[in-house]
Amino acid sequence: MAIKFEQVNFEYPSFDGYNFSALKDINLEIAEKGEFITLIGETGSGKSTLVQHMNALIRPTTGSVTIYGIKIEKDTKKKGKVKLNPLRQRVGLVFQFPEYQLFEETVLKDIIFGPKNFGVKESVAIERAKQVIKHVGLDEEYLKRSPFNLSGGEKKRVSIAGILAMEPDILVLDEPTSGLDPKGRDDLLKLFMGIHNDLNKTVIIITHDMNTVYKYASRVLVMNEGHLVYDGLPQELFSKENIKSWNLDIPDIITITRQLEDKLDVNFDRQPHTIQDLFELVKEVI
Amino acid sequence: MKNIIIGQYLPGTSFLYKMDPRSKIIALMILMISTFILKDVTHILIMLGVVLLILKIGGIPIARIARGLKPIMILLLFTFTFQIIFIKTGTLIFDAELTLTVFTLPLMIFIILFWYLTRRYIKFKFLYLLITAFGILTMLALYTPGSVLSSSTLEVYGDGLSGAFFIMVRLIIIVTLSTILTLTTKPTDLNLGLEKILKPLSIIRINAEEIAMIISIALRYIPTLLDEANKIMLAQASRGVDFTEGKLKDKVMQIISLLVPMFIISFKRSDDLANAMEARSFVPGKRRTRLHTLSWHNLDTTVIVFCIFIFISAITVRVMF
Amino acid sequence: MNIIEIKDLSFSYQDEIDALSNVTLSVKKGEWVSILGHNGSGKSTLSKLIIGLLKADSGEIKVDGVILNEESVHDIRRKIGIVFQNPDNQFVGVTVEDDIAFGMENLCFEQSDIIDKIKEYAEKVSMSEYLKKEPHALSGGQKQRVAIAGILAMKTDIIIFDEATSMLDPKGRESIMNYIKEINKAGVTVITITHDMKEAVLSDRIIILKEGRVIACGDTNDILNDKETLNSSNLELLLPLKLQYLLDEANLSNDKVKDILWQLSLNK
Repeated sequence: MAIKFEQVNFEYPSFDGYNFSALKDINLEIAEKGEFITLIGETGSGKSTLVQHMNALIRPTTGSVTIYGIKIEKDTKKKGKVKLNPLRQRVGLVFQFPEYQLFEETVLKDIIFGPKNFGVKESVAIERAKQVIKHVGLDEEYLKRSPFNLSGGEKKRVSIAGILAMEPDILVLDEPTSGLDPKGRDDLLKLFMGIHNDLNKTVIIITHDMNTVYKYASRVLVMNEGHLVYDGLPQELFSKENIKSWNLDIPDIITITRQLEDKLDVNFDRQPHTIQDLFELVKEVI
Repeated sequence: MKNIIIGQYLPGTSFLYKMDPRSKIIALMILMISTFILKDVTHILIMLGVVLLILKIGGIPIARIARGLKPIMILLLFTFTFQIIFIKTGTLIFDAELTLTVFTLPLMIFIILFWYLTRRYIKFKFLYLLITAFGILTMLALYTPGSVLSSSTLEVYGDGLSGAFFIMVRLIIIVTLSTILTLTTKPTDLNLGLEKILKPLSIIRINAEEIAMIISIALRYIPTLLDEANKIMLAQASRGVDFTEGKLKDKVMQIISLLVPMFIISFKRSDDLANAMEARSFVPGKRRTRLHTLSWHNLDTTVIVFCIFIFISAITVRVMF
Repeated sequence: MNIIEIKDLSFSYQDEIDALSNVTLSVKKGEWVSILGHNGSGKSTLSKLIIGLLKADSGEIKVDGVILNEESVHDIRRKIGIVFQNPDNQFVGVTVEDDIAFGMENLCFEQSDIIDKIKEYAEKVSMSEYLKKEPHALSGGQKQRVAIAGILAMKTDIIIFDEATSMLDPKGRESIMNYIKEINKAGVTVITITHDMKEAVLSDRIIILKEGRVIACGDTNDILNDKETLNSSNLELLLPLKLQYLLDEANLSNDKVKDILWQLSLNK
């Protein structure tokens, strides 16, 4: 197991004494390879707090997170023995807004900033930058440009390239597709699928878009009020009763299939996964 | 959501909370000036009594005031020592020969080291420091075995002691008065009060309303900016920025990696905010009505009259005695 | 009657390609129009031009019969309210009540009137319990509701929602869409700017922008029937519509299925 949560609780301290409990009794295991996980739940349910534990940005109030064999607990840092940076290199975390991380004059300098912090030689880092910029679907010519004169989608890609250049084993993305139009969103998701398939990395995505969950995820985690309430296959999630109480949408394809079944008064023998599937099913009944 | 509190407003219901922020600011000014007029220990002690009375009637716990005094403790100690050592007039109250010998020097170093290592476990740190300092002085004055390394005389004169005491009390009064204001007035009300008081400055082309608007927006966005700074730090930490390690050159780079995003985001934010304000018909300098207005009550007049009375008394005692 | 008329409007940011070129469109009083386009199609630029935050290179904007220029801009802003995309960057007040009051203060409403209206409109967007709360204690959806209350209180004839739901979670998005429906029903002209076809089909009319040009403009029904334009617009088609197209291609469709899919497309 690459990452293991054991009985993790986390509280945000507050000045007035009423600490806000963001995570409650989380138990979770994430494999190093081959998983494409989506993490969902309404705003404030603890999704971001959960992923910030995955690269030891924050430490559990009680319980422990084991990342590549290194146990992180409340007082880990005080003991001073554990170096956290190697963990952050292995678990790459991309924040929601690229503006949080872009700061250099050129895209190249920004991409090599991460690797250099982890002790990679500059020449090696530059080679990596040339590789990753292509991976995120941008031209090598972009390396010379200023990161601030790019469109929103391009900035997002550069920020992802900056993390990919660290060559993490696991890639975690906090709401990577929010604010993008459908085309920008689909392009990015294909990119993540590519990273997952070609580079054989585990990818974890926080999202609010259930279509993404249904279409891409091999596993889905649902957070609700600090609890991890579901961990399993997306297909089974959307047939569950309590999905409404978790304030989650239903993917469009499921909604329309149900409505069609209702209105045409038929029962399809399987749940369609794509519009093409649904077309085949409808074809059979008319 | 994390809870960020700006200022140190302490909810309450006493007369201090019922007062108009304008009268509170004016009263504070008058009392401060009165304090500076006084030159005599007895008078300033009476003034301290008045301030304590305000605290008592206003229902403000002394502990909160003490917390406000904490940051200036060092300053207080420094002025106190300075006054005692350098003022050499009046009657000699106390003198002692301080001798540093081959035995007491290492002993002194040991005590200081012991204090340094143990102070974090002591609850009353300031008191602990005082006791340690006093201990060293006593030792130097009374315990003198071995060969003498150096010696000097500590002389404390009446004027030095009273002067030190006087200045200390004056500082405490000033800090307590301003703490009363911030404890009992919400930042927004304080802002509104200041705006009204500064209004006459429009004669010299200082627009109080604009300044107040800027302060109010700053109050609104400070928690947002703090939250954002925290997120930027986490985002850069994810890219290997570790503030506990690295050479100076790396450190500079790390700080830049925080500041640049902060600035870029703030510029974008101010641009958006300016658009939003303009779209809602905000025109700088144009007359606006206000949701919150201030109202002056009899209480305010009473307090101001009382303060003026103190002020006149202060002048009188200064001139008469 | 047209409340907004735009003729041959062009605009470009400094030495960049045109953000908008020769845009002509109109909005009728009381209707709900969606301006639909992908990122960078110029739709947000258009909203900033209408409210006079940007100045057009050429062309004309008329609001309620008045041509927009430097003299009329303040009067026109009294008629148009706008809810922007980022909930955090448009919250001016230190508390909810201060933010609702902000626009009214600028328009010099009487203090007693402001107090009444805060109550009334906070009630309308279900924020009455939050009047004394500070923005960092609110969710994105709640902040947008406060922005709506602030604009409703100013009694503008037109409200523009400039991607007002795009930074919200599904729950926040749904609640804002419901308020938009209500506002339009109450007689306010509504313009929603979005890249989401699901939101656009709720409106009476759709205008599609692509690379700064109007490529389609018409009743929602007509636009949904215009397969060619939709395919060329780079927008994501609604699933029922996609299915309809697939069935059409295979010559399989019948009226019953067509009707059902149509209803589903319109989200009814």
